[in-house]
Parts: sequence; C-alpha cells; structure tokens
Amino acid sequence: MNPSDFDELAGGDLEPGERERLRSVHDLLVQAGPPPELPPHLAAGPTLGMTLVRPPRRRILTRRVALLAAALTVLAVAFLFGYLAGNGGNGLAHARTLRLTGTRIAPNALASLRVYRSDRAGNWPMKLSGMGLPKLGPNGYYEVFLVRKGGYEPCGAFVVKNAGTPIDVTLNVPYRLKPSDTWVVTRERNGDEERGPVVLRPTT
Amino acid sequence: MELALDPPRLQAVPDAPLAAAATASDADLLARVADRDRDAFEVLYLRYIRSIYGLALRRLRDRERAEDAVQETFAAIWRSASSYRPERGPAAPWLYAIARNAVVDRFRGHIEPTGEVPDLASGEPGPADRAETAYVSWRVHRALEALSEREREVVELAYWSGLSQSEVAEYLHIPLGTVKTRTRSALSKLADVLEGDDL
Repeated sequence: MNPSDFDELAGGDLEPGERERLRSVHDLLVQAGPPPELPPHLAAGPTLGMTLVRPPRRRILTRRVALLAAALTVLAVAFLFGYLAGNGGNGLAHARTLRLTGTRIAPNALASLRVYRSDRAGNWPMKLSGMGLPKLGPNGYYEVFLVRKGGYEPCGAFVVKNAGTPIDVTLNVPYRLKPSDTWVVTRERNGDEERGPVVLRPTT
Repeated sequence: MELALDPPRLQAVPDAPLAAAATASDADLLARVADRDRDAFEVLYLRYIRSIYGLALRRLRDRERAEDAVQETFAAIWRSASSYRPERGPAAPWLYAIARNAVVDRFRGHIEPTGEVPDLASGEPGPADRAETAYVSWRVHRALEALSEREREVVELAYWSGLSQSEVAEYLHIPLGTVKTRTRSALSKLADVLEGDDL
C-alpha cells in the first residue's frame, strides 16, 4: 500500500482536530523512514565496556581538601595493600557486573560476569557465577569468550560437574578492554574445530 | 590463565528494578544513570538504540563506523549523565547532541577524497535539510519505542513493508478491523509522545 493514503490507514471518520493531529504523525512517519535493523550484538543490550568508563572528576575540592584527600588516599592504599597481602590477593574491591541469560540451548541458565580492575600487569580478573547450565558429556566443556567487533577472544574454559549445581569460575585475561567489548559463553567439545553454539549471552 | 571451580556464591539478578525503570521518564533515567544505576542505563539503551544507530548510519553510511559511534555515544552517556540538568530542557535533545557529537567525531576521522567541483548545484538536500530530516527520524524512531509490540508491528508493516492493510491482516492472522484499530491507536499514541515535553 502507498503510505501516502492517510485515510485508508487512519480511517475517514475522524473529527477534524484529531484528523489533523494524526495526519501530522503520518507525515512524520513517512518523512522519517523505517528504523534501522539492529545487528544482533547491538540488539542484545548495552555492553559492559560502555560502563567501564570512569566518570569525570568534579573540580570542587579546594587545595587544602585535595591535599587532605591525597593523604587519606595514601593511607587507604597502604591499608589496602596490606589487606590484600594478608588475604592472598583475593580481596578485589571494585567490580562491574554483566548479566548473562541462557539461549535456547540452555533456557534455564543464568549467570553474572564480574570484571574487576586490571592488575599491575594489565590483566583483568573476572568471575563468572551462574546456574542452570546442563552437565555435558565426557568431551564437553564450556568456554568464555570476549566478543570484539564480531571476533571471539578466548578467556577460559570450565565444566559443570553436576547439573543444578551453581558454578563460580575465576578468570584472568590479558586483553586491554574497550567500551564495545562484551562476553558470551559457548558449549564446546574436544576435537571440534568449529566454535560451538552460544549458551549464555548478555541479557537484553 | 587461572581457572577455578569454587563453592556456589551466585546472587540471583532480580528483574523488578528493570520493570520499574521501564516506565520512568528519560530525565529520571539519566538521574539514575548518574548514580550508576545499570537497570536505568539498560532501559535508556533499549529506548534509544534504534534512534542512535539510525542517526549514525544515515550520516556515516558505514555499519562498522556507525556501530563504533553507538558504542561511544552510550559510553559518553554513562560518563556524563551527571552533567544533564533537567531545568535547562528535556533529555531527548541532550541525548541527541551527545549522539551527534559521537557521529561527527567518526565522520571527521574519515574524510572522503575531494572530487571535482560540479558546475551545477546538486539536487540532493543540503546540510540544513539533512539535519532536520535526521532529527525527525530520531524523534519518530524514539517515539516508536513507546508503542506496544503489537502496535509497532502494525505501523512498521503498514508504512514500510509495502503491504496493504488487508495484506497486513493476512500476514498477522488478525481481522482487518483489528489492524485498523491498532493503526489508529498507534498513531494517536505517537501523537501524544511527539507532542510531549520529553522529546
């Protein structure tokens, strides 16, 4: 149908005021054209990388307050260093979380991926916590991938020992993260050359 | 790479905050994003992703660079949501300005080679017309997100698929009268949204 035929679309029995109102919307729709088809990775929702950006600092501190804050920071860093050293380095304090949901292959699966601040060497510690992933056969395993511009970078693999048992997997990757980065989990099988299907993806 | 299987410590992610955020205004969502609220950010993303991607595609004419512009736009929104001031105006133009800046940055990074200067004026729309069309598309695509799935489907089929209303009814397996009712309802709702203060 020709969308310029407003009366067929909206009906011819409109009050003059309402007709004018809907007619203006009709004209805008024709002028705007169709919305774009989104590629799957944009339709999947925001990426974790978008929210890894630090907000700008507000310049509201006076010189005296800034000096005091600097002194407190030194003390806090010293305390944190001591705390981490005393806890085997497991006390990661700052994290961003990406929510993942199961695809058709694992509809009951649910997980969250926590990405911590990078360490001195530039590695990014991560923790994948989840449940609902089925136990796979003897050659099966799951693999976590960083997705960047359509490419997949491996981050680590794990197995589910018992169906219904929650998982908690620690990873540490050397990639320099970017705002567009996101992650998926796939189902793999030893010996397969092709990458397996995605079982967990960022929630929409 | 380090790998470990530890005792379970998963915290379930509730959907209730997301549902609550879905009805919030753009200005409210930005205020929450400024407080690092990820649910609000996700709702804002889903509300604007088509508008922003459409704007970027229209200007850059390149999917990869348009996707980069989208990523940069949302990173900028996350970064600078606290600088939005509701008393200075509605949120949609503020978001549009951020998206436009991200697109312009991508455009500057990719200057087309200069060709011969034509003797005759081009019949294509000038910068002012293009800017107006871009903003109209932005508003309309954003307003479409306020429709229900059923209403949006009927509008998209009626306006941009080339189907008649009878064909839309046949395609959706619903009576023709339902198609007409949904179309009129959708147009009315779009008029409400487009006339509203938030756009």
